[in-house]
Amino acid sequence: MKFLCVQCDEAMKLQATETPQSGTLSAVFQCPICSSQIAMLTNPSETQMVQSLGVKIGPAADNTPGKCPFSDVVAQMEATPSEGIAWTPEALARLENIPDFVRPMAKQGVEHFAQTNGHGVVDESVLEQARGKFGM
Amino acid sequence: MKSYFDIQGDGGSNVVAQVEAQLEAIQSALAGVRFRVAVGSGKGGVGKSTVTMALAQALRAGGATVAILDADFNGPCQAHLAGLTAAPWVPGARGLSVPRRPDGIGVVSMGSLVPADRPVSLETVSQGDEHVWRSTKEFAFLGQLMGSLDWGSLDYLLFDLPPGAERSVQFADFLPADTLFALVTVPSDVARGVVARSVAALEAAGADMVGYVENMAGYYCQDCDEIKPLFPAATTPIPLPLLGRIPFDPALAELCDRGWPEAESQDRPSAQAIEAVAQNLVLALEGRRS
Repeated sequence: MKFLCVQCDEAMKLQATETPQSGTLSAVFQCPICSSQIAMLTNPSETQMVQSLGVKIGPAADNTPGKCPFSDVVAQMEATPSEGIAWTPEALARLENIPDFVRPMAKQGVEHFAQTNGHGVVDESVLEQARGKFGM
Repeated sequence: MKSYFDIQGDGGSNVVAQVEAQLEAIQSALAGVRFRVAVGSGKGGVGKSTVTMALAQALRAGGATVAILDADFNGPCQAHLAGLTAAPWVPGARGLSVPRRPDGIGVVSMGSLVPADRPVSLETVSQGDEHVWRSTKEFAFLGQLMGSLDWGSLDYLLFDLPPGAERSVQFADFLPADTLFALVTVPSDVARGVVARSVAALEAAGADMVGYVENMAGYYCQDCDEIKPLFPAATTPIPLPLLGRIPFDPALAELCDRGWPEAESQDRPSAQAIEAVAQNLVLALEGRRS
């Protein structure tokens, strides 16, 4: 979807996005020539359709973490909570190297493995232990 | 006044570029895979998952490197079949590591993460219209998952598809273009009719199909030591090469339930049939490359 300033015949640029309430989305576009602004307001269904593509919306779309589509599943997995499990920076770096859609599920699974095997901290040796146990 | 294609980009989010980056990540992650085979059907309950795992076992026994991606998010059973229901997805040096069975077959399945008695529910900001967006979101997740995994070098990556003729077509659109399809049926006219419809739909979508497997082609009676019919003779044609017929075997079903801890005895007709199907599949695949 693109927005055109009819008066200037110029493509408008995305300035800001907000998700004010109940799954709605507000996106402000501005004409780079005359500075006129418009706001695109989506209802929850429209917001959901865009989110379902697994893309980020916003002028700084490359930096904003997305949300795991299976966060409900992750919440269910947390029926056996793994509270208090810390990650070392090195282990965390490995985790952050995978897309954010998938990251929460990996994090929860590893924390469950760590807890089950008596580890209070996830470090690279715990990751290697998990990898070794499942032939990775 | 300018029209849509006169304007470069979308003014900020660059959604198209993000989607293209996802596709590039998938291509990159799968670069070391020689053959991608999607095992589908159109018809549910014909044994797609069992045939997929059985083929993986036969291919592995022949010395090939094999992995399975369980693309059925809503009825994932490859983790159970593989005995990997407790395998976490662990970040390695180059993305997520693929959990492997002791025999070396890699298996990625939502069934490793979600207990069988819980639904696979998806995050949403919009209640009551899941039919509108769920499929899109599943494919987006599948894409990110495929691109996240460190598949390494593989001879075969098998996709265990969900049932539904329309789903098979969606996967034909979604998976990399050189993915080959193998379909599974049972020898009833009802199932063969659904699979024939899937063949037509996949053909229209431009998918390359290598053949079909007739599963539950009779059952092996151990007492009689012979294969007896399970279904009346079916006549509905399936316009694909037949890769082979696999009889139903209670011993095979038991192996599935136990996570297939050991190879099936090669003395059993089902094991011999699976071996023959695998050989025919390999011949068909190699034929595509030559």
